[in-house]
Amino acid sequence: MRWQLAAVAASVAGLGISIYLTAVHYAGVPLACPANGTISCEAVLSSKFGVIVGSTLPTSAAGIVWFAVSMLLWTRPAGRTQLAWSAIGLVTVLFLVYIEIVQLGVICIWCSAAHVLVLVIFLVALLRVNGGRVTP
Amino acid sequence: MRKPVSRTPPWVAPVAVVAAVALLVAAFLLIRWYTTPLAPPPLTVDATQLVITSITSLPSSELDAVGTGSANNQIKKVSGSPLTGPNGHPEVFYMGAEYCPYCAAERWPMIIALSRFGAFTGLKTTSSSSTDVYPNTPTFTFHGATYASQYVDFVSVETTDRNQNPLESPTSAQQALVKQYDTSGSIPFVDFGDRYAFNGAMYLPDVLSGMSWTAVGDSLAQPTSPQAKAILGSANLITAAVCKLTADQPATVCSSSTIQSIEKTLG
Repeated sequence: MRWQLAAVAASVAGLGISIYLTAVHYAGVPLACPANGTISCEAVLSSKFGVIVGSTLPTSAAGIVWFAVSMLLWTRPAGRTQLAWSAIGLVTVLFLVYIEIVQLGVICIWCSAAHVLVLVIFLVALLRVNGGRVTP
Repeated sequence: MRKPVSRTPPWVAPVAVVAAVALLVAAFLLIRWYTTPLAPPPLTVDATQLVITSITSLPSSELDAVGTGSANNQIKKVSGSPLTGPNGHPEVFYMGAEYCPYCAAERWPMIIALSRFGAFTGLKTTSSSSTDVYPNTPTFTFHGATYASQYVDFVSVETTDRNQNPLESPTSAQQALVKQYDTSGSIPFVDFGDRYAFNGAMYLPDVLSGMSWTAVGDSLAQPTSPQAKAILGSANLITAAVCKLTADQPATVCSSSTIQSIEKTLG
């Protein structure tokens, strides 16, 4: 139950970050984010990777969907569904981290916070499945 | 007697995942370090002049053919007191920095557009920071350059060099101007006589990635190249904003149907 609550809390936090980034995208207001050579949310979010390929939707909109689904899934006992969903999230996060580090050479700290939350959710799912309390 | 079955502790898999993620991030950093292009050595004065001549003598027909190309029109109408430059002409004010890749991208169209109203001297090649996004974007610097025109005055402030060492400081009036319209503080910031302004680049610097100044110059001779669409498209937008300041003078530049139609969109 404690781990389940942690996963729900991480999903809610991730949802908040994703909503914030999406709102900033559409409002066109400055993002609360430090900017130096290595960290620049604006550089990441205004790059061609800041929107979902073939659309004008910000990548953070996909984050809203992912964290919302995750939040709903974690209202049920831990199982393979949560593990599969968080694995999808983790693979996507690894791709986004690749884009930030290799393609852009700059880090968005808001995005990184959301990435860490996805990792936390995956680890909780893994721990629950490995712990033997698995529902199909 | 049966031997007890050894079971892997549940914490092993999560620890292994964290270690694998850390390794992957380290690998990404390594790839980045290996693939970042080195900063090209600056061109000689003569070679720089050849590139400048090549990009500022493009035929009007080519600029007209590109229109706004792939440029993103960032120019916004503003309503301040008319800004007049040191020679009494409407002032185009630029603030940027040599390390900034977006400034690096935007200087190309600025030089092309402003050269249609006057002439630069003393432009030197440089490239954006090696450690920022879009590293080593080839460009020129306005630091140490002069501009002469009978239509507009151009005032520039390059705040730092490509290693972020201080270079030039804006006056308090210039700081106030930037603060008024550029609330996000992003550079480059360009103000056209306090009638129009924009900040940021009109195209992404990755279109210039890994190119030499000469290669960029050569690519502008082909209107269908991605560089021409981005740079000449941006140059036409800037030209239209300047034409608004000069009451469409000179006519040879401002009366073209392309510039006239862009002017209408600027309001």
